Amino acid sequence: MRTRIKELRAVQGMTQVELAKRVGVRRETIVFLEKGKYNPSLQLAHAIAKTFNQTIEKVFIFDAM
Amino acid sequence: MKQSRNALIIVSILSMTFILGLIGVFRAGYIPKGLDIFIIALTVIAAVYALVVYLKQHKDVKSGFPAEDEMTALIKYKAGHYAFIASMYMWLLIFLFKRLFPDVETMLGSGILMSAVFAIVIKSYLTRNYHADQD
Repeated sequence: MRTRIKELRAVQGMTQVELAKRVGVRRETIVFLEKGKYNPSLQLAHAIAKTFNQTIEKVFIFDAM
Repeated sequence: MKQSRNALIIVSILSMTFILGLIGVFRAGYIPKGLDIFIIALTVIAAVYALVVYLKQHKDVKSGFPAEDEMTALIKYKAGHYAFIASMYMWLLIFLFKRLFPDVETMLGSGILMSAVFAIVIKSYLTRNYHADQD
């Protein structure tokens, strides 16, 4: 799974720390999410997408299932 | 915050037990060697690790981060699972080579502490190298 979190963060000028605080997770979780090493829960995916005013499928890209 | 408080209580109990144990050992005039030093070393590693984790969590909570989130909880559960499996093999080996231990207490102590060290090492490894696709 790929994510556009880093790209969307850059557009909004948001740091990993700010995003982590907004969605209520630790900074390491954002790092792992950006690297595609962690698959978030639906709740967290929704919170992140909502932070960027995007839909979940526009933030998290599933290449192959 | 509750978790940090629990960690502090555990660290305090571990440290107090360790210090009281050391005082008892030295007052009795007993000089630990061999396996005893190994057990003391494992206890110190476990106590130091718990203290470091507590201090890091405390700092993060003060900065506005949660002490634990869904990813760290998942890593903790996975580390527990792997440590349990590793411990089962370790206990099998311990019972196979039980003649190497001077007494039952030393054997059990070594086994219990090694289980704790397994959990610490596996958790530290997963915290740095976790990858969902490798599950």
